Amino acid sequence: MADYREAPLATRPKTLDPNEYFNLSPDYRRAEAERAALRAGLKRQYQLQLNNPHRKELIEDPALNRWVYARANPYNHFKATKKTSLLGALFGVAPLFILYYVFKTDRVCYGGR
Amino acid sequence: MRVSFVSQSSQCQEMAGVGFQRWVRTLSKGKISGISGLLPACRSASGVSKDMLPGKYNIRVEDYKPIADNGEGYGDYPQLPDRSQQDRDPAYQWDHPDLRRNWNEPMHWDFDMFIRNRVDTSPTVVPWSTMCKQLFGFVGFMLFMFYLGDKFPAYQPVGPKQFPYNNLHLERGGSPDVEPEEVKNYEI
Repeated sequence: MADYREAPLATRPKTLDPNEYFNLSPDYRRAEAERAALRAGLKRQYQLQLNNPHRKELIEDPALNRWVYARANPYNHFKATKKTSLLGALFGVAPLFILYYVFKTDRVCYGGR
Repeated sequence: MRVSFVSQSSQCQEMAGVGFQRWVRTLSKGKISGISGLLPACRSASGVSKDMLPGKYNIRVEDYKPIADNGEGYGDYPQLPDRSQQDRDPAYQWDHPDLRRNWNEPMHWDFDMFIRNRVDTSPTVVPWSTMCKQLFGFVGFMLFMFYLGDKFPAYQPVGPKQFPYNNLHLERGGSPDVEPEEVKNYEI
């Protein structure tokens, strides 16, 4: 394992991560065990639903629902800070005036001909 | 009877099996009601303790870190590592192999950007600096050489073009009656 080099355009797989084998600190091991337990629990839930012969409906994905909800409702947590105000002005207000000016002058200059 | 609700994914579904039990457990712990217990919320949502947030998102308490609160509307959504789906292990048995994602795994805020068709954070063969140097070096060099070639043109010596038939007298619109002046473009 010492001379393993990742293939180009790839990251090192988890099974070849030296931390997995040489990092023996209990905190790290416990953390990894907890993460694995979470993953295993989710896998188990999914497999139970997937292989349930009485299931007639789609398996809904709560993480997906949460993500969709979060992406669709940013304004609930919106605050008018310096950065957000600047972005709003730059993308929402300035183009109106700039485009008006551009089109007006363009029309006046060349529209007559 | 099971409770049914309309989710954002516009599918009318029933809560099934373990998902329902988990929801009931979460509700019984805090003062939140209904769907809002499971959906992303603002950081100071009343009744929702900080300990429940990682459970809601299925990450460890230590791993949970909300996206920076700068008013851009993230709420309490967790900040996950900025790695694309292409970066994930292709040999692992994912629940959704094309997305390289497991069921109910917390999704990155920019998940739709990180799918395999789009942004890829996989390590490159050559470091970024080397790539920049090579590309801009080559393009810059070519631009410079073309500029020099434009400034100092180099070609075979040429003279003005010579035409037959008395410098194309008829083709240039001269009348056939008028005798053109004899033009001799050669020397023998």
